[in-house]
Amino acid sequence: MSTDSNDSTAIDIHSRGPLVLLLGSGVLWLVISGVLALIASIQLHTPTFFADCAWLTFGRAQALRETAFVYGWLANVGLALGLWIAVRLGGEAMRAGNWVVVGAVFWNLGVSLSLVGIAAGDAAGHTFFQIPSYAQPLLLIAYGAIGVAGVLAWTGRRHETGFASQWYVFAALFLFPWLFSVAQVTLVWLPVRGVLQGIVAGWFAQGIYSLWLAPLALACAYYLLPKISGRVLPAYQFAVFGFWTLIVVGCWTGGRHLIGGPAPAWIATVAIAACSLMVFHYFVVFLNFRSALGTKSSALYFTSFGLLAYLLSGLVEAVISLRGVALHAQFTFVEQAAQQLSLYGAVSMVFFGALYFAVPRLVGKSWASSFLAGGHVSLVTVGVVLLVVALTAAGFAQSQTMFGATQPAKFADVASATRPWLLVATAAQVALLLGNLMLLVNFAQTVAALVPFRAAGNPVSRPALKAVLS
Amino acid sequence: MKNGPLFFFGLFASLTFSFAGVVLFSNYQLGGLAPYYDDSEGKSFPERLPGVAARGQMVYRDLGCIACHTQQVRRPSFGNDQAQGWGDRQSVARDYIHQPYPQLGAARIGQDLTNLAGRKPSALDAEDLMKLLYLGQGAMPAYKFLFQDVKVSGQVPKTALKLTGKNAPSPSHAVVPTERAQVLVAYLLSLKTAYDYPESRPVVKTAAKAEGAHK
Amino acid sequence: MSTPPSPQGDHRFDSAANGDAELLESHAKVAGKQTDEKGNFSLLPLGLIFGSSALIFWAAVYVTKFSGHYDPKMFDETAPPSTGVEVVAKVDPIVAGKKLYLSACVACHLPDGKGIAGVNPPLAGAEWVLGSEERLARIVIHGLKGPITVKGNQYNGAMPVFGKVPGSGYNWSDDKIAAVLTYIRQEWGNNGSAVSTELVAAIRTKEGGRKEWTAEELLQIP
Repeated sequence: MSTDSNDSTAIDIHSRGPLVLLLGSGVLWLVISGVLALIASIQLHTPTFFADCAWLTFGRAQALRETAFVYGWLANVGLALGLWIAVRLGGEAMRAGNWVVVGAVFWNLGVSLSLVGIAAGDAAGHTFFQIPSYAQPLLLIAYGAIGVAGVLAWTGRRHETGFASQWYVFAALFLFPWLFSVAQVTLVWLPVRGVLQGIVAGWFAQGIYSLWLAPLALACAYYLLPKISGRVLPAYQFAVFGFWTLIVVGCWTGGRHLIGGPAPAWIATVAIAACSLMVFHYFVVFLNFRSALGTKSSALYFTSFGLLAYLLSGLVEAVISLRGVALHAQFTFVEQAAQQLSLYGAVSMVFFGALYFAVPRLVGKSWASSFLAGGHVSLVTVGVVLLVVALTAAGFAQSQTMFGATQPAKFADVASATRPWLLVATAAQVALLLGNLMLLVNFAQTVAALVPFRAAGNPVSRPALKAVLS
Repeated sequence: MKNGPLFFFGLFASLTFSFAGVVLFSNYQLGGLAPYYDDSEGKSFPERLPGVAARGQMVYRDLGCIACHTQQVRRPSFGNDQAQGWGDRQSVARDYIHQPYPQLGAARIGQDLTNLAGRKPSALDAEDLMKLLYLGQGAMPAYKFLFQDVKVSGQVPKTALKLTGKNAPSPSHAVVPTERAQVLVAYLLSLKTAYDYPESRPVVKTAAKAEGAHK
Repeated sequence: MSTPPSPQGDHRFDSAANGDAELLESHAKVAGKQTDEKGNFSLLPLGLIFGSSALIFWAAVYVTKFSGHYDPKMFDETAPPSTGVEVVAKVDPIVAGKKLYLSACVACHLPDGKGIAGVNPPLAGAEWVLGSEERLARIVIHGLKGPITVKGNQYNGAMPVFGKVPGSGYNWSDDKIAAVLTYIRQEWGNNGSAVSTELVAAIRTKEGGRKEWTAEELLQIP
């Protein structure tokens, strides 16, 4: 078995450079977005924090945090893991690795430029679409360069059979450029009129989650869990239905944010129905993974946590999309809690799991520190749970004082009702930031070993690795 | 995957389906929405924002006010937006057709601002808004960087804020709003849902049902 | 949520129990398999079919019920099944009439409807206002010239042309005229009936464009 499970090592070493670059920049962005999230979180209960700094108004800090998280952390790591899986399952060494390196460099330049632009007040101003207009073409081109490796991994694959991870990876890689370019054209270059911007932005933001981030996370989960357990996933023959439900229905659910708003009623109605249909997708995912979850190792633990959060987020979305519930949940911190549950609790946690699994194989060496990894596991778990719980509670308090009132609400009351929970949310952000710093240090230490190691010119023969793998 | 082309066609078709349904169809329905001409008033609604206010919307947008304030009122029978004094009618698509960047918003950490300048019985005036921006209030931070502390020699500038007590500047100084603050306030003062479109009126359910019963 | 792995566990490496080729092969086998082969009928596919049908049914019912007729101008999903125009509340003629009155008539007839002695006749309690709708509508549509007696007093002013007829300075539509007539017939303690748009339209089509009426001409009309 040991030979069989290590047959990809040569492939991994070949794709090491580009993928480690993407993963490293992703982790760095994670820490940067953690700092920004902390600033925004503090501003919610202490409005004087950085109030004199025009570059960090709450609105801008929020946009900065979101952009660094989605386009810095999730995109870099998601693409790296997606390519890694695509290449491994293709059974051939990565081709066009240089393109990935160039793309990664320009992508990260684009994200940096975006952050500077947003801080200066050039944000495009839509959820998941804050990138200033001048940085958008750069990001699209950089994505294209990274995507070349994905296309070649598809055309050059050795096995004709397709596995769930492959469907999800290639769907994500293929659909993002389209979504992103549609958003650019309809929101920036030839903006549609009035409320239509809200409708298109809702469609795009949902697409980014349902057709890009969630599929990348699911690709990781479908790959990792059977690999770790060594067993075939139960009810795997239904995975294909879950996949197509997500791809066909997912994007229709974006309109749920427009309930009661100035968009025609049918848009919200269709979105609510779509949210219900998505329950089928979540159920299939549950069936596939129900016996594979576990906590034995970091990768397994993170992936299991992420999958459970993913299922929970699907249910939450189906429930808060219902008009009677949306009436109270809309415009409150409950929406933010749901977003954090999907982005942090589900997608990021699965990515953490895949990161723990992939990095030792790419680097050819175990993680540098067990302590740092363990600390990361604990802090991030505490952080995510606290963050989601605190935001939900703050949302309930906010909804009660604001939407429960029969006369103009006193916003001082709303602020004092939410304040304790917002302080807890800040504590959660501190935990997340510390945990992710541990990850960054651990990653840096692990990868640092590569530099002299490469100079030695013989990366493959590492007795230590062989010992661990067998 | 044995059916590669079919797989990618499926992906393409799925996204096209939602793109056509959500983006294209709504664009077909609302893209040509025209202002409503009321001949008793002799003009069309919504009215265009005055130039200063339109520039103010850019300031509103770049400061990220949208992170805490919505500009969409839900209908009186859905939620308590009316009781909050935010507006007596539902916001409709036509309200936004002249806005290059509608600031619908998704969070109400602060108030809804759709009808900020049209509130009854009394709305905030320019001076109140300037003070609010300069001093902040509750969870709303003070935006001191939108103001300048200038040295006064002779006459106090006309635009200077009338601050008293501990907020007052030293005697030889005055706090003057920058141009950004002025256009922002002009924009906030233009936020009114002055006109009641046919589609913004509440749907009459009982009447229509009774009519149906007669037929 | 489950607890993090125990601190004793090694976080440094996750071993795999499965190679990539093995993974692909074993799952490909399952994907092609019929679940009820070997007579092993499994309830899962049935359950999934029922579950998904139930979801689709619920979604379809919801969409049908709350579609707002896919009308771009319908923002209330609970709108009853009928076209958008009809279900929208009609404008109250009193409200519209008052607006119109205040925009034009008020200059001569004053806010209290008492008029100006000798020039502009009163509307409050006037027999011309409360009496024949036919005459009243003609005055507003085509205007009035020359002396007129109202409530026993003589007036001699000039009523402008309001209707959608040649030479009109106002070009008010028929429903505006109906609204303002309804308003003056029911304001200031007046208790006349409402004037319908159809009546105004009928008079305007019948008379067409003509010069201002005189009081004598109007008295010929019932």
